[in-house]
Amino acid sequence: MATEIKMPQLGLTMEEGTVERWLKAEGDAVKAGEPLLEITTDKLTNEVEAETDGVLLKIVAPEGTDVPVQGLLGYIGQPGEQVGEPAPAAPAAPAAAPAAAAAPAAPAAETVPARDRKIRISPLARKIARQMGVDYTAVAGTGPSGRIIKRDILAAAEAAPKAAPAAQKAAATAAAPTGTAFPVKNLELMEGDTVEKLTGMRKVVAQRMYTSAVEIPTVTQTVKIDVTALLAFRKQLKEAGHPFSVNDLVLKAVAKALRQHPEMLVSLDGEQIIRRAHVNLGMAVALDTGLIVPVIRDADLLSLEALSATAKDLAERARTNQLGADEYKGSTFTVSNLGMFGVESFTPIINQPDAAILGVNCTEDELVMEDDGTIAKHQVMRISLTFDHRLLDGAVAAKFEMAVRELLEHPMDILL
Amino acid sequence: MATYEKDFLLRLYGGMVRVRRFEEKAADCFTKGMLAGNIHLCIGQEASVVGSNAALRPTDYITSTHRGHGHLLAKGADSKKMMAELFGKSTGYCHGKGGSMHAADVSLGILGANGIVGAGIPIATGSGMASKIKGTDEVTLCFFGDSASNQGTFHESINMAAAWKLPVVYLCENNHYGVSTEIHRVTNTENLSVRAKAYDIPGVTVDGCDVLAVYEAVKTAVERARAGEGPSLVENVVYRWQGHYCGDPAVYRPKEYLEEAHAHDPIANFRKKLLADGTATEAELDAIDQQMADEIEAAYEFADSSPYPDPSEAFTDVYSEDNERCVAR
Amino acid sequence: MSTLSISKAIREGLHEEMVRDENVVVLGEDMAVMGNVFAITQGFLDEFGPNRVIDTPISESGFTGMAVGMAMRGLRPVVEWMYDDFITVCLDPVMNQAAKMRYMTGGQVKIPIVFRAPIGAGRRNAGQHSQCLEALFTHIPGLKVVCPSTGADAKGLLKSAIRCDDPVVFLEHKLLYAKKEQIPDGEYLIPLGKADVKRPGKDLTILTWSRQVYFSLEAAETLAAQGIDAEVVDLRTLVPLDWEAIRASVQKTGNVMVVEEGVRRGGVGAELAAEIQEELFDDLDAPVARVAGANIVPPFSPPLEDVMFPHPADIVAAAHKLLAK
Repeated sequence: MATEIKMPQLGLTMEEGTVERWLKAEGDAVKAGEPLLEITTDKLTNEVEAETDGVLLKIVAPEGTDVPVQGLLGYIGQPGEQVGEPAPAAPAAPAAAPAAAAAPAAPAAETVPARDRKIRISPLARKIARQMGVDYTAVAGTGPSGRIIKRDILAAAEAAPKAAPAAQKAAATAAAPTGTAFPVKNLELMEGDTVEKLTGMRKVVAQRMYTSAVEIPTVTQTVKIDVTALLAFRKQLKEAGHPFSVNDLVLKAVAKALRQHPEMLVSLDGEQIIRRAHVNLGMAVALDTGLIVPVIRDADLLSLEALSATAKDLAERARTNQLGADEYKGSTFTVSNLGMFGVESFTPIINQPDAAILGVNCTEDELVMEDDGTIAKHQVMRISLTFDHRLLDGAVAAKFEMAVRELLEHPMDILL
Repeated sequence: MATYEKDFLLRLYGGMVRVRRFEEKAADCFTKGMLAGNIHLCIGQEASVVGSNAALRPTDYITSTHRGHGHLLAKGADSKKMMAELFGKSTGYCHGKGGSMHAADVSLGILGANGIVGAGIPIATGSGMASKIKGTDEVTLCFFGDSASNQGTFHESINMAAAWKLPVVYLCENNHYGVSTEIHRVTNTENLSVRAKAYDIPGVTVDGCDVLAVYEAVKTAVERARAGEGPSLVENVVYRWQGHYCGDPAVYRPKEYLEEAHAHDPIANFRKKLLADGTATEAELDAIDQQMADEIEAAYEFADSSPYPDPSEAFTDVYSEDNERCVAR
Repeated sequence: MSTLSISKAIREGLHEEMVRDENVVVLGEDMAVMGNVFAITQGFLDEFGPNRVIDTPISESGFTGMAVGMAMRGLRPVVEWMYDDFITVCLDPVMNQAAKMRYMTGGQVKIPIVFRAPIGAGRRNAGQHSQCLEALFTHIPGLKVVCPSTGADAKGLLKSAIRCDDPVVFLEHKLLYAKKEQIPDGEYLIPLGKADVKRPGKDLTILTWSRQVYFSLEAAETLAAQGIDAEVVDLRTLVPLDWEAIRASVQKTGNVMVVEEGVRRGGVGAELAAEIQEELFDDLDAPVARVAGANIVPPFSPPLEDVMFPHPADIVAAAHKLLAK
């Protein structure tokens, strides 16, 4: 009896994965626990391991294909064993038992996955659904022969937020990666150019950045902060055996400022404004393959020490691809620090559903005339706050930035 | 012959040679595969073509047929633009959009050849009506063949022109064949000019291979028309040396037809006359022959070396106004 | 504004153009002495004389072809066919001559002819006097096709058609001639290729022309009482087509219906539906619907003729089906 290899679920929100690379070829012997292939999801690259000993009989999903969770990837069995044509993969509960064995002659389930089911929907309804982020696969059509028409999408869009704002938001977030298509331009290739598929993390970053840039009217305000005292303070702490980074101090200051200015912690959902209860700080981490934003939950409640440790741990695990799927969800504000790269100022793109993102820049030397008229060398650092002008106005954002500046210019206050 | 100016006679001779050289060159190009589509040649009908036009003023009008190269050339058309049109080149009369069957030069009063048998007859009648309405004295000479006289447009048009005394000369070139069908197999009367009686207008049958006989008959009809006395029907009996179209082996004709046709060669016979009565010398006529051959060779060179129209030209001139929108949807 | 029958409005437009331009001449059967069977040219013979108001013999092929020659000579003939059905005996001068002459001569000539003809069923005129053949004319490159509904439109469009340098087929519905309407006083022109929204609405676009404009407006009132807000777009000219107006309306409503009296198979509606689905697919909430004449020969007997062409109730029913209501 051949054993099916299925797309695993690597986190609550995972819907599909991409077959990145098969590590075994058809006919290769495999042992239980041995890696068979690499898959990528929105955020992660993972290996799928063999569950039993045997031979890789057949590869059903070639490299580059997107396969839904629990979708069939291939078969493991005994040498010479026949496997039937793959039955269409059935969506199964995440915790379901490992791969039910498929009888060779009797393909298992007839159920067609939602994404392959023929949905009768008018072109206009499909267009509007995409624009509004409505998942039309779940909408019942009231047109002829059950066709989904415009009014069905409008009704679905109206009903959803009333029923469950959070669920709707989650659905919209989940829908975004598959709902946005980039225009095909048939660009001319020049000698030496190579082409690869937009997949995995790059695809998600591309789509989320695109959606955010297109949807949100943004304003970016840059404020200069004198960090001379902050750097001296950091030096003192280090000498006292507490080596915190500037980033740690900035995160702590931002968390504190956010608690003082909860008006910054908002999300827009259709005609509704969600006021966020928690200071969950998203922290942009650059990876070779893209960008990930792990979340420090309730950052305002953490001590500087705990905050620093959490940030370090998340960044480390992000870089080694070990983040749990839910560790990069639920941010209410995001910090993106490019100071270590010498960036003097930039206009970050908001990490939806947040309403703002703070860009942290490099530290520079500046000559300052002191009150007594002498000239002294100071260190300054700019922070660049991009905010959603639908929700926040310039003065509100500026007050928040002043609070951050106040804290960073008087570093003792960060700890108090 | 003595009553005509020498210049005039040599013009008739040269005009006929010019038409024949043009047709021969066109046939040569067609046979060599240089021309697309189809051409219909008037070799053998040059006396009718040239003699009729000689009776017109430059300001007068003609309508022509699918066998129209000669009509247009005799009315003054530029052989270069004519040949270029046959070649489908951008320098042709219609910039390659009309071809052999639709060449026209409205500035010379040529209201167009026509691919539909009998369709030029009402158009000529309308031109006559225009002269009448405007109160001007241009005459319209309407060329058509024996077969067109069996179209409704022939009867409808002559009926109206007769009723309203329009300045139109209906000129039937009876070459005996409508494509392959001999006229008497489908028509009861010996001559076609007899049909004039039905409309109570003058009708005359002329030896269409005698350029002076044609000239005289058409001149009479033109003068009558210009005087406001109404239309006439002139039937020129001619021979179509070629088949219906260039390359048509014309197996439907008895060989006697071609023998008779060659015996009626309008150019050779007129040349003999000019020499016989001392109007011109061999050398003078040879010089005319050479001049015409040179002109047609130049026309060929011009046509062959001219560019084809740009494909985008296909979409222009469908309409005078709002062309782009009308062509788009 | 004056209250005039539509035939009088047409007469007024034609009259103004004849006064304005001596090159405008009218010809056709019974146009002069009788002044036309619908009185379009009543009094014209006395005013403009027999050279400009011409009673032709019943020789449609001859006088239609004659108009082509007249146009090539600089006149602006307005030809009347007593019924558009008679096109069968004079299609060559229209289709092969007038429509193509400019193109075939490489742009040497203009053919400023207006071919006027009454169209339409409803007068129990049976098979050869009741058709709406506009689709036939739209199929011929080189022709412009105008199908006015109101008297005000008919007058303004006819004047534009007469001034147009291209052959224009101008089709007047015979059941509208006697209809009395408010006609603006004095000279005005309505450009060819400009549709008119006769009734704005947001739920459904009805593209229509000629008599079916009135039926569509009547249907729209019924639909309004049922909560369906239909937009009635009177195309007025079929060539050139006011695509921008069509696009704007379709993008507003997402639901389109073409209503025409002519036969459904190969009708103008078929062409519009094809064009709309190709160009505006993503704006459609339902397939483009057609309400059109039946694929039959116009019958004589009243109960037979009445089922041949669309009535307001057919439009209402089609709207319900289209909107799934």
